[in-house]
Formats: sequence, C-alpha cells, structure tokens
Amino acid sequence: MKAGNLIHDPYNAIITGVGGQGNVMASRILGNIMSRKGYYVTIGETFGVSQRGGSVMSHLRISKRSVWSPQIPRGQAHIVVALEPTEAIRVIAAYGNSTVRVISNTRPIHPVGVIAGELKYPSLEEIRIALEELAADISFLDATDEALKLGQPILGNVIMMGAVAGTGVLPFDAEDFRNVITETMSKDKVEVNMKAFKKGEEIIRHAPAR
Amino acid sequence: MKVLGSRELLADVLAKELCIGCGACVSLCPYFKSYNGKTAMLFPCTQEQGRCFAYCPKVEVDLDEVSRTIFGAPYSIEPLGRASSVTMSRAGAKAPGNNYQSGGTVTALMTYALAAKHCDAAILTGREGLNAVPAIVTSPDEVKNYSLSKYTSAPTLAAFNQAVDEGFSRIGVVATPCQVLALAQMRSNPMDTKDYSDSTSLVVGLFCTWSLDYRAFRKLVAGKVDINEIKKFDIPPPPAEVMEIYTGSGTIEIPLAEVRATVPNSCDYCFDMTSEFADVSVGVVEGRSGMNTLIVRTERGRAIVDGAVKAGYLVIEDMPAENLASLKTAAGNKKKRALKKAMGEGIINTSDSCRALFRLEKNTLAGI
Amino acid sequence: MSYLFDTNEGARYLMMGNDAIVRGALEANVNVASAYPGTPSSEIIENLSKASLKRNIYVEWSVNEKVALEVAFAASIAGLRSICAMKQNGVNVASDFLLHVALSGTRGGIVLLHCDDPGALSSINEGESRHFARMIELPLLEPGDFQEALEMTKWAFDLSEELRSIIIMRSVTRLSHASGNVTLGRLGEPEGKALFKFETIPGDPDSGPVITMPVPPHHTILQNKLKKAVAIFEKSPFNTYTGPEKPELLIITCSACNLYSREAVHLLGAGNRVGILKIGTTWPLPPKLITRNLARTDKVLFVEEVLPFLEENVKVIAAETAAEVGIKKFYGKNDGTMLTINEMNPDIVVDAIKKILSIEYTSMDDGYAKRAKEHLAALAPVRDLTFCPGCPHRASFWNLHNALELDNRRGFVCGDIGCYTLGFLPCGFSTMKTSHSMGSGIGIASGFGKLTQFGMDQPILAVCGDSTFFHAAIPALINAIHNKSDVIFVLLDNSGTAMTGFQPHPGTPLDAMGKDLPIIDPADVCRSLGASVEYTDPFNTEETQKKLLALMEEKGARVLIMKQMCALSPEKKGKKMFEVRVDQDICRGDACGCSRLCTRIFRCPGLVWDHERQAAVIDEVICAGCGVCAGICPSGAIKKTEAAR
Repeated sequence: MKAGNLIHDPYNAIITGVGGQGNVMASRILGNIMSRKGYYVTIGETFGVSQRGGSVMSHLRISKRSVWSPQIPRGQAHIVVALEPTEAIRVIAAYGNSTVRVISNTRPIHPVGVIAGELKYPSLEEIRIALEELAADISFLDATDEALKLGQPILGNVIMMGAVAGTGVLPFDAEDFRNVITETMSKDKVEVNMKAFKKGEEIIRHAPAR
Repeated sequence: MKVLGSRELLADVLAKELCIGCGACVSLCPYFKSYNGKTAMLFPCTQEQGRCFAYCPKVEVDLDEVSRTIFGAPYSIEPLGRASSVTMSRAGAKAPGNNYQSGGTVTALMTYALAAKHCDAAILTGREGLNAVPAIVTSPDEVKNYSLSKYTSAPTLAAFNQAVDEGFSRIGVVATPCQVLALAQMRSNPMDTKDYSDSTSLVVGLFCTWSLDYRAFRKLVAGKVDINEIKKFDIPPPPAEVMEIYTGSGTIEIPLAEVRATVPNSCDYCFDMTSEFADVSVGVVEGRSGMNTLIVRTERGRAIVDGAVKAGYLVIEDMPAENLASLKTAAGNKKKRALKKAMGEGIINTSDSCRALFRLEKNTLAGI
Repeated sequence: MSYLFDTNEGARYLMMGNDAIVRGALEANVNVASAYPGTPSSEIIENLSKASLKRNIYVEWSVNEKVALEVAFAASIAGLRSICAMKQNGVNVASDFLLHVALSGTRGGIVLLHCDDPGALSSINEGESRHFARMIELPLLEPGDFQEALEMTKWAFDLSEELRSIIIMRSVTRLSHASGNVTLGRLGEPEGKALFKFETIPGDPDSGPVITMPVPPHHTILQNKLKKAVAIFEKSPFNTYTGPEKPELLIITCSACNLYSREAVHLLGAGNRVGILKIGTTWPLPPKLITRNLARTDKVLFVEEVLPFLEENVKVIAAETAAEVGIKKFYGKNDGTMLTINEMNPDIVVDAIKKILSIEYTSMDDGYAKRAKEHLAALAPVRDLTFCPGCPHRASFWNLHNALELDNRRGFVCGDIGCYTLGFLPCGFSTMKTSHSMGSGIGIASGFGKLTQFGMDQPILAVCGDSTFFHAAIPALINAIHNKSDVIFVLLDNSGTAMTGFQPHPGTPLDAMGKDLPIIDPADVCRSLGASVEYTDPFNTEETQKKLLALMEEKGARVLIMKQMCALSPEKKGKKMFEVRVDQDICRGDACGCSRLCTRIFRCPGLVWDHERQAAVIDEVICAGCGVCAGICPSGAIKKTEAAR
C-alpha cells in the first residue's frame, strides 16, 4: 500500500494516561494501523514499575521516511491524547508547542497524594483554561463515562482512538481499526470495540470546535 | 485546660516514656492501640485537638479544674485528697466467694452496683498470664472472676471507651489512680462536646504505689515460674521486702528490689496513692489482712456504700487512728516525692508556651 | 499471521525490540531458551515460548539467572543453539558461571542477552552490564535499531560458533520496550540433535570434557578468540558511518543512543557538519575502524548509556594512534558534557552538539515553557508509585506495620526486589527499611538476628515474594536457620512472578510452554529446613496481625506465609470479590476518631476523597473489590457485599 503524505513528517503523537488505562494497547493498535498502511512507525513506551499508579506515556512517530527516536524531542508533539486530564498538562509541559492539538478524557484518576490530602487535584475548568492557553485546539471527551455505558471502562482508550480518527489528523478509519483488532482480539470482543471506536469518532465530530 | 493533639501527646508522653498504658486514648480512634500493657500509636493523626491529649493523665492535667468537676472545689492540700470518711471495710455475707486480695471490698461493691442496677456495666481488669486485661462485665455473678491485684499496668480505660461507644451510660469502673485521673478529665468534658453526659455512675479507685511494666516483669519471672500456673501475687508488709507469687505448686518469692526495677519511669511522677478523684477509694490496711481501707469521697459514692452495707454486701468498721496516720504519711510522701521530681524537671505550671505535666494552684503546691 | 511463524521473507512488521530479538533467534534456529524474568527482558522468553511447540524449542523460566545460563550452556555443549535472557542485575547473578564459561568455551551458538535499564525506569539499580564483557573477556554486541536487533541476534549465533565463545548482546529499555518496523528474514525448518561428546582430551573444542583447567592455556585460547573477534568486527556491517567525509564533529555512539543522535542531527539541520559512527560491536573494539574514523576530524562526541564504556575504550585506541590521527578534543562523560547517570534522549544530544558547534536552536519558546511549567506545578499533581487497587501487598504491609507498631520495640522489615519493594513508600506505610538485591532481605535479616550480643532487641522481619524465594532467598534462609538467627521470614506469596507479568516459577504448576510441572511448595522447603511455618491470608487483617504479634514473642527463625493472589493475575483481574461502597452519612471523615484513616493513610487508589461531601467514596472504575478497606474503617462506614459472579 502506498502511504500518503502526512501533515507533519514524522507525525508525533503522545498517548498518555495512568497505569491500567490501556495506554500501551492503544498505542500499539494505532501503530499497527499506520504500519500496515505503509508508514514507518516508532513507538516508545514506559511501563514496568510505572504501571503501579504512575503516569504512563507512549510516544508514536509516524513517518514516510524512516524509523525515528523512540523518544520525541522536547516541544515536538503534534497531538496529545490524554486518557486522564492532568496527564495532558504533564505531557504538554515537556513536549507541547503552540500548535499542538489535545484530545483529553474528562475522568480524573486521583494520584495517591491527592487521595491522601497532600496534593490538590484541579477542577476540569482549571485544566481547560490551562490547555486552551497552551494548545492550538483542545477537545474533552467523557470517554470513561461512555465506556461505562458499553459495560467496560477500559474501552475509554478505544473511544479516544476513535476520536483521533475523527479529527482526520492521521489517515485511518474504523475499518483500519477493525482489520487490526480482528487479528489481535478474540472474536467476541471485536464488536464492542468497534462500537467504542465509532462512539469516539462521533463525539469528536459533534464536539464544539474552539 | 489546654487541649492539643496526638503530635504533642507523642512528643510529651510516648517519646518521654511517661505513658503508663491506662488506655484513656485507646478505642477512641484507629490510631492509639494497647498491646502488652503499652500504648502504641500506629499512624500519625492530623487533629490539632484530640481526645487522646485531653484525656491523658500524663500531660497538661489541670488538677484544680479536674477537682472542681468532681468535687466542686479546687485541688485539696490533704494527703488523702477530698474524703468524707475513711473507714475499714470487708465483703459482707451477700458478697460472692472468698478469693480476695484482702477484704474483698471492691468485688462486693461492684457486685452490688450491678445487682442493684446502679451500673449497667462494670469495667474490671482480669489477668491473662502476667498481662492485665480489661473487660466489660454486665452480670453481677461475673465480678468475682476479676478479683485479686494484677500489679502490671492495664489499659482499663480502653474497655471504658469501648463501653461508652457501645452505648452503656451508667458505667462502674474499678481503676488505679492514673486511670481515675484520666476518667476525671473525661468527665470534665474537655472537648466541650455538645450534649455531653457523664457515662460513669461509680468510680472505685484503688490504692497504688506503682505498677509494673509487663515485658520487664515477664523477663524477671521467666524461668522462675510457669506463668500459666500463677494463682495470685502479693506483697506482704515490711520488713519482708519480697513479692510472693502463689502457684498451684507452691509459693515463689522475688526480692522486691528486683521487682521495683521493672516499675516504669512514669510512676515516679505520680502524686496520687489513693485515687483522689474516685467516688470511693479502696486499699489494704496494714497489719489487717482480711480488711480494706475504704475512703468515701463523693455523694454518689456514699449512696452506693450505704446501699451495699444495707443489702449485706459490705461490712464497715472504724479505722484505728494509728493506721490512718501511717496511711496519710505514706500518701503524703508519695505526693511530695513526685511533685519534687516534676518541679525539679520544670514540668509543673510551665508558662503558656510550654506544655506541663500538670498544673495546680501555686499555694496548694507550696502547701504540699 | 504472527511474526513468529511468518515464512514470508521480506514481510514487514511493527515489532518491539524484544520481538525483533525473538525473531532473530527463530531465524537462527534456536533450540533452547532460558531466562529468569526481569523488566525489560521478559518478553523475549515469553514470546519464544509461544513458538516452542511449533518449532520444537525448549523454553524454560529458570530459578535464577545463573541456572538459566547453565541450562543454556548445556544445550550449547550438546551441539544446540541457545539463548539466555536477563535484565542487567541478572548478569551479576550469572557472572560467576560466565567467568568459567569464557574459559571453557562453547560449541553450539549461545547468546547471553541482557537488557539494561538506563534511568532505572523499571529497576531499583542502574547497573551497567557491559563491563562484564571487558572484565570476563567476551565479545559484546549492541544493536542500534529494531532491524539490527533481529539481524544481530541471528548473526550472534554464527559468531558464537565461529569463535567457540558465548556472545553477550546488550539491549536497553528504549529498544527492548520500544517498537519499530522490522523486515523479516528467512525462517528455515527447525533442526538440531543433542549429543554431548567428551571422549577426547580436555581442551578439545569439539569432543573433550568441558573444563577450565589447566587455566593458562585456556586463558590464552580465550584471548586468541578475542583477537579473532577484532578481525571480524573490523569488517562488520553493524559498524556504520553516516555523514560528510570530513565532518566538524564525529559522534561515536551505540544502541538506542544511535537513534537519539540521528534525531538530534536532524533537528539541528547539522547533517553536513556532523558525522555519526555507530558501533554495533562494542567489545573488543576494532581499532582500525576506529582509527580510520577518528582521522576524519579533531572533535569527537560520545553518546552512550550509562557509563563511559565506549568512550574510554576509544580513548585507549586514540592514545595509541595519536601520532597517526592527531590529538582529539573529546566530549562525553569524562569532561562533563554528558551525565554518567540516567538515560539519554534526543534533547541531551541536541544540547551537546549546540554547545560544541555553536548552533542556535530553541526546542521550546521561553514564554511558552514558563507558562507550561507554571501550569504543570499548579495543575498536574505528582503521581507517586503505589500498590495497585486490590494488591495483597497493601494489606500485607498494613498488617506488618500495625503489628510492628503495636509490638512497640522498633521492629523493622528488610526486603528486596519485587512489587513489594514499594513497601518503603507511604503506600506500604513506610514499613520496609532495607531493600537491595534479590533475596537480600532475609540475608540482611539473618545478620541482624545475630546482633543480640551487642544489645539489639528489635524484632527483625524479612519479606520476599514467592518467585524471589526460589531465586535467591533459600540460601539466606538456610543461613538464618543454621546460625540460629532471630528472624521472622514473611513470604509474600501472590502466586506468580507478578511484577514482570506472571511468569511461572517452581512454586507454580505450569512451565513456560504450558505443560504440567510438579509444584515445589515453599512451606515444605522451609519446614524441611527446620523452621516453624504458619499461613495467613493478608486480607484477614485481624488474624494476620495476631499471628505476627505472637511470632514476635518467639525466638529463632520463624516463617509466616501470607498467601493472596495478585490483583492483576489472570485469575483475578477484572473480577471483584466484593461490591464496596461508603455510607457517607456514617463516615467520620476528618473528625477526631478517624482523621481520614482510609484515604490519608490506607490510600488505596480505589477509595478517594469526596471534597464536596467531606467523606470517602469508592471510585467504581478503579476499585478492585478486595474489601480490605471495609475492615479498616473505624466507624463501619465502608460496606462490602459479596459481588455477583
């Protein structure tokens, strides 16, 4: 398959969240989709100890030209997909720039320091204001809530992927997603994942643009 | 009364090894627990003011304020504290059993108080091996199982706090002087709790010159006696200078000097030999092994003693003058010793910025 | 089609570095694979085990790294090809055997693959295992990207057979756990017949007994192998130069740092000024190749992780050839251009090149960076590590902490490596006071337990996980029992090697390939050694604390097994034992009598603080339904009901 030109090459995407949110899986599925379409894909992941309540971040580099560093350089992200809203801010502080696009889940996961009362967790409004200042475009999705309606909160990651597809920043769609998951998932899981993906696409298309 | 939190309690009492393990701070919250006669703090707590600090008999005790709560008058200069009568007593015919440390007065009083429904529960202290273990007792027939002296310090008030939590409202407590002092502080509602009501209906104070640290005492008797075989402890009057441990297979004597070495430091600061803030106080009578000294201090104490006598649970006799005099001397000496030590360390009536062990009117202190 | 079995040469897959290594081993027709799990190396054996049946590979999760290497070595001297994988500190464990293998030599191709973890992303040390290659005199290879990970692995087997030496190959987290496109090579039919020949004289490389004595001649043979390796490495395609013929600056790099260097040069637009010499054969270095490239310029920058290994070895060659190539200005670890700790990234390389060549480059506008930093500080609360919701270790350390505090004699816990290492953090109530290598908790405790003659009267406890028990705790436990050390050994048995993804161990019933194996029960082992053994379920907090308190009153070596399965185990994950909820009307919250015990102290991620209601509340999405919090609430506000199955 001939890969088309990307809006940036390499296109740098960061999927971020908290251990246990399905971040690594989302980045691998997206990576596989783009790889199958003929692009070079490089993914850098942090997992291991960081899974135990820590922030988890995947760096995706998508390119027509070559493999790139598994770590995106500072200030070079094109899109940040946050499965947890404060993680968007954490990522932007290192990899953001004034043209970055952000898609964020609204559901907070409180760090233990917040649970213990030692740290403060911001309101969604505070996060929104900060992100609006730092990013060119932000969209919030109630991905976990929507996933709960589908019966599995973990599907929040797939809804977020659907949202990425819905923005059109990368050339992939629901069928590309289906092609990859039918190979990696058991049959009974495919349909609910497709539903989640399409839900994400739908939400982002109806989200008020800034 | 100055009320602070667990942080200060930890620094002033636990860290300085002044805690006697009375249990006043236990069963109120998940942080203070009692184990092997000692109080442990499991985790730090963030309360600026807590019941733990307010109830503790080893920090910021305002003796005049406590005395006003119990007697409506400031702390007394008298060696035996405020007393309406000092007599001898022993268990009467209606009292259960005959396995008493001396006269059986405490067992008799508590059995009567439960039987006559003066109390809905009694907080008593039993013994498991060498460990003194408190219990909530509701049946008059069970009281006799808790007779005899324990010698090791006990978290009796942990059971009291638990009984309050369980909803008992007329609780009878048998307690040592430090425990009686803590109870008196609880009864003065130091946290200004709304709708506070006193859950005690009778406080029977025991005479006490010191208690023993469980672990140290266990180490002392280990190898000398099978702990599970112990029936009774006793310290016969001078000049014997021994502790007697009665077992199924005979009596063992341990030199009193060795026993005294297991007394926690905290007892050195105790000024109270006769449980001055109790309703009635009970102790031995020197030279009269079948009798107790009985000090009646309050009106409700008087009412229960009278009732017990009338119902045949208790018998009262006059106290010989020489016994009374030597009791006063002993109590006075303990008081002077403790106050002198505390004064020497500058922990009485400290300035406001500094926390004190206890506070009392300057003239009273000078008088003592 | 899985990359494991795809025979379509030239097919392209997106693969993790570890997958590329697996494919390389398969293409090399590996027969035996062994390992002890350790992030970031674990996927290698895991994925090879998936191919074990179809390709007749014997795959083993061995009891520890030394035994794993011995198992792989047996295959080698029986004429088979084998690979042994481990993380960086595993090499330390295996190093004693490795020293002897270097001398004795090998037969079938054998590769020791170790994954280092620069930055200690999933380690409790930042060990640099490359130094073993120089110390023990063995060839060392480092792949510089994903494709090389495949090709180099494949080649390492040939090289091993050519040199009759074990080959060390080093990956790092950012290769092993990163993914890139890899083109497959040829996958042949599995082959291999095992026979150990020993009939001729010692020293005969093909059919003699395999021993290291007499040492001097064996040592000479070993060093001749390295000379041969140098000759091969001079021509190796894994050593590449990219850049202008005469660059202003020569970067010498290896491993993942190759990718960072390429990215940095690209970002700075400095492709016409900077050349990159990527070394794949990092020990022994090929001196001619190095000299040739040093001659290109007089400025050299080393980009590597973590210690200056390449740097120092190149400098030796540079010193020896100074007359030929001239005096160089070196930039690297030794002059402070680069740090000797932590992992590298493109930005560090950018900064170094910028400085050396005076290039203007801003990665992030100052004003933007300042605002982003302010928002980060104000709005992104730090995420400290914690035990997962429903983790048995939280309950275990709760019990240990409470029992130790109750006991009131300043008792403490010694631990080691596993999820339970977090026992030193607030999530483990700061209960663990020492943490070192695998099994060292009980070893250190064994020593503490003999200090009573110097007045030590603190209760001494050691914890270790079930997998660690078999790995390295048993000798230390024997030491404690034999020497009558006063210790309590607490086995935190969560039924698997949980930290690295539930690899089996001798206490579990299946092997790496899914076949039945006899279970070795740690309790039986401890009893046979003469220790008293008790069991408890850490979720039963009252009973567990009681047992701990009773054990603390006793002397000698005592064993308590706290048994409860990991919350992430395949059997448990996603299945709640209890539905848990908080009755917010009963919750005492911040008041005297509670002070937020559950959220402030117990701090399970599934139980959060409701600021509006000033009470605790369960986060349904996160709660794993273990129900332990219901038992710790002092007011009975946390209710649990058995979950419908």
